[in-house]
Amino acid sequence: MAQVRKRLGATDGKIRMPDGSEHYIFGFVDITGVPDDRIFDFRGKAQLLSPLIEAYQGDEVFLTLTNLGMPGRPDLDDGHTIHWHGFPNQIPVWDGVPEASMSVPVARDLTYYYRPLDPGTYMYHCHFEPVEHIQMGMVGPLIVRPELEKRPQYARRRFAYNYAWTEFDREFLVFLTELDSTAHRMVEEAQPYDWTEYRPDYFLINGRAYPDTVRREHESELPFQPYSARINAYRGERVLLRFVNLGFQQHSVQVPGISLTVIARDAQVLRGTAGEDLIFERDTVYIAPGETLDALFTAPVPGTYPLYCRNLHRITNAGAPMGGMITEVVVRPRPLGCPPVREGENE
Amino acid sequence: MRTINLWVKDGYLSTPDGNSIYFWGFAASPDAPAQVPGPHLVVNQGEDVTVNLVNQTGAEPVSIFFNGQRGVRTEAGPVRPQYDAQGRLVSFVDHAEPGGGTISYSFRAERPGTYLYESGTNPHKQILMGLYGVLVVRPLDFDRSVPGLKTAYGAGSGTEFDREYVLVTGEIDPVLNAAAERGQPYRISKFRPRYWTLNGRCAPDTMLGDSLPHLPHQPYGAMVMAQPGERVLIRLAGAGIDNHPLHPHGNYSRVVAIDGSLLRNGVGDRSYHKFTVLLGAGQTCDLIFRWTGLGYTPANPVPVPLPNRRNMGVGDLGFTMWSGSPYLGVKGDIPVGVVSFNEMGEYNFMLHAHEEQKITNWGEFPGGLMTMIAIYPSLPPEAGSLS
Ligand SMILES: [Cu+2]
Ligand SMILES: [Cu+2]
Repeated sequence: MAQVRKRLGATDGKIRMPDGSEHYIFGFVDITGVPDDRIFDFRGKAQLLSPLIEAYQGDEVFLTLTNLGMPGRPDLDDGHTIHWHGFPNQIPVWDGVPEASMSVPVARDLTYYYRPLDPGTYMYHCHFEPVEHIQMGMVGPLIVRPELEKRPQYARRRFAYNYAWTEFDREFLVFLTELDSTAHRMVEEAQPYDWTEYRPDYFLINGRAYPDTVRREHESELPFQPYSARINAYRGERVLLRFVNLGFQQHSVQVPGISLTVIARDAQVLRGTAGEDLIFERDTVYIAPGETLDALFTAPVPGTYPLYCRNLHRITNAGAPMGGMITEVVVRPRPLGCPPVREGENE
Repeated sequence: MRTINLWVKDGYLSTPDGNSIYFWGFAASPDAPAQVPGPHLVVNQGEDVTVNLVNQTGAEPVSIFFNGQRGVRTEAGPVRPQYDAQGRLVSFVDHAEPGGGTISYSFRAERPGTYLYESGTNPHKQILMGLYGVLVVRPLDFDRSVPGLKTAYGAGSGTEFDREYVLVTGEIDPVLNAAAERGQPYRISKFRPRYWTLNGRCAPDTMLGDSLPHLPHQPYGAMVMAQPGERVLIRLAGAGIDNHPLHPHGNYSRVVAIDGSLLRNGVGDRSYHKFTVLLGAGQTCDLIFRWTGLGYTPANPVPVPLPNRRNMGVGDLGFTMWSGSPYLGVKGDIPVGVVSFNEMGEYNFMLHAHEEQKITNWGEFPGGLMTMIAIYPSLPPEAGSLS
């Protein structure tokens, strides 16, 4: 059992879409280890997605939220919270619902404590006026790794859950959100917005729209959108895709040419109460807001396989095709001298 | 043999932002107000059920479509679609004419489970106007006083429960309701909901009790209340025309049945756990929610100290449902001037649509398709029982 200590600052910022447009966001930024007299340097530097939070099953996670305020909206003194979406048996003080516990005002901190016991793919988000704060970008991925990986016989091998058949060689996040640029502009300009008019015009994977989705991580031109959405593998490798939907719409995602084995939904491995095998194959992952899903595939014949939202009006940037929720799965031949990944899979 | 009488009437729904919305609904007696959802109908498996409908509205014929029930008949034979003089489809099943017309349906409740009943006449309009309700069929061996027989789907089905709640989702576009009130046309393709409802109410009214004088047409509260460790059966029904991802905080739920069909394949259990359940339009879904907690008490305190409440945001909306303490059953400090609705240190976990525009009332948070699951240190046995 280890201790994970992380500190997130809540603030605002700007992100960029491939058509050159800029959008005002709210978000979190990692300020772990930053001295107290320097944390305000991170005001206005929110990122989308918010920083990945990772822990092992059984770890103690101390997650401190510091409200840095919104330099782009000095009039706004909103609080913030962290809601670990899907945490089993949670108690209200760490659930992040302001109406049922408390929020963090500007210039204050709160340390949330979690001891995750169920491995899997989760998400976190702010729950203060959630329609606004989630849409504005206060959303991030959260992964709990299984205790199985720590057993000596599985050393240096990677698993999604506590079952040997959930082993993978590489893992990627497919985190879906939408952006309604009118809503973002109204919030930036401190104008009221009728959320029942929600009509997103940008559709994002890992905080970027295509073609930015296939660019490298930490691109200098995308300083506040650090996560690439490109999926790279060598032929024969087992690839884990961690799907998360934290938009406000249901999405149907396809990867033609690659069949996905769905092994878990909502961080629950697909096993019945008496161990029944409930895993299934899909060519399409249909996922609703607030759901997560883990799928495995074996990297097929080398090539480039598009992964995209089959709700095809969403592969656009402000109406212009081809953009939005598209990325690529790039499979390369295994380099010479590289050992087979696993017995029986050396094609 | 069970006979149920329903009257179709109109009235005005109340929303928390002060709107008053014309609607059509079912009433349980000639003198009772129309209500949304219609009265919960609770019958026993194997029972022969007769539903007599009196259509007291002056506008349109009305029928009832019993989703999931087989062999539904009227006096004239099996139910069948109704067409107008021009041959246009009006009703999926036999209807009662406006201005006092009647129709009588009968069927045998063959399968236990949770079902919708709803208008089969101009359903794109009448269901949205409020003509829907929930039918619960108890399993043959149901006995609420015997632990192993208080189940949703019968002994041995793994659906034992301690308390049960019905949560019906709906959507309201006030333009549709206003058009119906004035007898004007409305294009359903322009449907733009501004309110989302649980048991006919928008949050925060969802969290109020049943049968309140100021909500005469919305008698059912939507608070889910339980004690730690209890198995809470939540019967979800999607009565509107939209699909909703519903997320209970606090724990995942076990999905035990969909559309009144137990998730079981012979002896194989096909139930599964979810933290968000996508409820399709017209679908029902039975969840068993159980919260056991993390074991913290004043004697086994939380490992991080809580900051002074005065430095935190408590009651940002002018009220809080928090006790002020991290511990169940303990009342702590709430900053002066904040109204607390917490009764005895209960824990509140939000249950809401995760398409977050749906937890507003016409765009204003909080509202809409949202309620709380309240875990009480102790609760009377009557809480969470359907009659
Ligand atoms: Cu959430
Ligand atoms: Cu929530």
